[in-house]
Amino acid sequence: MPSTLLAQRGPTIAAAANLNFALNEIAEQFARERGATVEIVFGASGTLTRQIQDGAPFEMFLAADEEFPNRLSGAGLTRDAGVVYAVGRLVLFAPTGSPLTVDERLDGLTQLMKKGGVTRFAIANPDVAPYGRAAEAVLRKRGLWDALRPQLVMGDTIAQATQFATTGNAVGGLIAYSLVLAPAFGERGTYVVIPESDHPPLRQRMVLLKKAGAVATQFYEYVQSAAARAILRKHGFAVPQ
Amino acid sequence: MDWTALRVSLWLGAGTIAILLPLGVWFGRWLARRDFPGKALVEALVTVPLVLPPTVLGFYLLVTFGARSPLGQAFQSVAGQSLPFSFAGLLVASAIANIPFVVQPIQRGFEAIPADVLDAASCCGLSPWQRFLRIEVPLAWPGILTAAILTFAHTLGEFGVVLMVGGNLPGETRTLSVAIYDRMQAFDDRSAGVMAATLLVISVVTLMTTTVLSRRVGLRRV
Amino acid sequence: MSGFDVSERRLTVQLRQPGPIPLDVEFTCDPGDVLAIFGPSGSGKTTILRSIAGLSRPRLASVRSGTETWSDTGADVFAPPHRRAVGFVFQEYALFPHLSAAGNVVTALGHCPREERQSRAEALLAQVHLSGLSSRRPHQLSGGERQRVALARALARQPAVLLLDEPFAAVDRAVRRHLQHDLDEVRRTLDIPVILVTHDFDDVVRLATHVLLLEQGRTVAWGPVATLMSRPDLAWLREGVGLGSVFEAVVSRVQSDRRLAELTFDGGTLLAPDRKIAQGTAVRVRIPAREVILATSPPAGLSLHNVLSATVSAVHVDPASDHGIVQLAIGPSRLLAEVTRDAISALGIVPGQPLHALIKSVSIQTFSAE
Repeated sequence: MPSTLLAQRGPTIAAAANLNFALNEIAEQFARERGATVEIVFGASGTLTRQIQDGAPFEMFLAADEEFPNRLSGAGLTRDAGVVYAVGRLVLFAPTGSPLTVDERLDGLTQLMKKGGVTRFAIANPDVAPYGRAAEAVLRKRGLWDALRPQLVMGDTIAQATQFATTGNAVGGLIAYSLVLAPAFGERGTYVVIPESDHPPLRQRMVLLKKAGAVATQFYEYVQSAAARAILRKHGFAVPQ
Repeated sequence: MDWTALRVSLWLGAGTIAILLPLGVWFGRWLARRDFPGKALVEALVTVPLVLPPTVLGFYLLVTFGARSPLGQAFQSVAGQSLPFSFAGLLVASAIANIPFVVQPIQRGFEAIPADVLDAASCCGLSPWQRFLRIEVPLAWPGILTAAILTFAHTLGEFGVVLMVGGNLPGETRTLSVAIYDRMQAFDDRSAGVMAATLLVISVVTLMTTTVLSRRVGLRRV
Repeated sequence: MSGFDVSERRLTVQLRQPGPIPLDVEFTCDPGDVLAIFGPSGSGKTTILRSIAGLSRPRLASVRSGTETWSDTGADVFAPPHRRAVGFVFQEYALFPHLSAAGNVVTALGHCPREERQSRAEALLAQVHLSGLSSRRPHQLSGGERQRVALARALARQPAVLLLDEPFAAVDRAVRRHLQHDLDEVRRTLDIPVILVTHDFDDVVRLATHVLLLEQGRTVAWGPVATLMSRPDLAWLREGVGLGSVFEAVVSRVQSDRRLAELTFDGGTLLAPDRKIAQGTAVRVRIPAREVILATSPPAGLSLHNVLSATVSAVHVDPASDHGIVQLAIGPSRLLAEVTRDAISALGIVPGQPLHALIKSVSIQTFSAE
């Protein structure tokens, strides 16, 4: 039966979609160094939180923000309040061939909107994805939110938003720096990192859940190690001191 | 190619058939034989999962059996695991979602047997059970086969309920269709493509088998 | 024939219900007898058969086969169909479409050891002249062949009662003759009660020993064919098929030069066209009542072969019509003559009066098992 297959595997860890590549690399290195494996399930932080509340058998949760893990610790489902393991960054991305020119202040986007050249623009869903909320803040700050709304295409996760931004007929999107840097992402277009001051910080918190075992605890500590921090940095995250 | 996901998918399809087919034969036959006030309502209820968005089913299953519900907590204390986010939970969801695919063809299959033929079987000295095995099941076979294959194909393709109720746990609830979605999210188009092609081939083969088998059965009857 | 008292294997039936199909019948059928339940469609004939088989459950039912009680609503006894030794031939045959002819018969051989079933089935199929067709499926058989499979299947169970529901309704005339013949043959070897439901008078005259006339679920008349057919008062039968007396006879002599056969019956002899029937053959004779002419004195100078001396045993005048029925006694046999009321008064016909019955040879119908 499939359930026995699971038993032979490592603990299951829930992680925000923007960690898709960084965390896999950390897990591989963890496996090499410590000889233990973890299974990582990526999803929207909100969806994963909901699943944990409904009894999903995760042992550790790396969110894309602080609010969701705080909700879990408030409900007494976690071992403690957890730690901030990374701070994420947003990029304005334009796929190859898009009429959008990218710049920190979103002037290119504003110009293109005035010309009516924006067909679709991708962000993550602000309701369930922290990167969506950050994107919303950036667009509001530039006064583009209301005008752009009809053109927004929203992904459930920042990974899905990135899919839309690169493969759909979107002119571009506000997506995670970590995903744009992933080798699998390839050279799909141009991007510029949005200044941190333009949106509330994307402080990403992780927590160990009540049922966490030894391997999950080890992995939790490993994510905070110098080796893991180096990988996170390489993938475009800032890491707290 | 995620072989584990393929195995989960196949297990889910087989498990759903194993649970649902005996129930479907019993219930479909009962519906085919009985006339009672409110039969139309019962038949409509059986069909509901056909038109119900999978998310509605997922919602109710989570609300009913989630870790925060009394029923879910009771289940957890008895079974030692929660129903959602487990293979068992997927089975339950899949069984409910497939009720119309099983009951309807089987009901039609039994309805197609002339009443005289059943009477003749009794007059040949067959007990109700012998009659069921030797006359009714062979004659309703096209309907039963259609039910099994539709269920299998539908289970392989099920996505919404699986994702909602099962999550995306490798080896447990990550089916092939969810794995495709998962790989897409990771820009791993190659794996997603291989798995999509696999599902396509399985679906085509499954449906071809139905056609061939039902034609053979059809030749037998005319 | 077996040495048992016939009452030990007699079928006794009593059925009563106000609806949905009203029923009020009571009859028995002895082994070797063929009781034809005759009546228009919708009169409840099939319901009677189904009640005997246990497929229908009338409000009040008593069905006994010899010493076994199959239904007794008074004592709350009900044997399910599969526990009743009935052979049932359904109107549309109701063969199992997924099984071969032999498979159909084998299904009813559950009482036999497994290894004997196939050969028994083949033997039964041979008995109904289907030797080469045992592996065919029903859809590969003609209507008449399906009928025979259904008959073989009904016999396979070694039934205590054979029930036939309009067995010839779906086959053409020529096939029908063959099937009637086969059935008659089977009936003679079986020595069990046979109930035949039909709305075709031809079946009655050819096969039945007894008749139950049914109208809206009620018995109009029940008795031996000859007695019932010579009753002058069955107006409904007259409207339906025409009255006619039926009696048993033997071909005592064949005058091949004159192409006539001499038929001896209980009371006299008749000359009828020979119709290639061999001497010594038992035949059933039917004489339509309209074909009988009455005379007070023996006629001369007519082309008639048959002039029978008779005594008027009953006169029935239907007030609603201008016809009358005269029943004549010729020895123990009874002959019906249908004449106008005017003729009855002109000849002054009253019971006890001697008369001569004149019958044209060509109007005599003969039915033989061969």
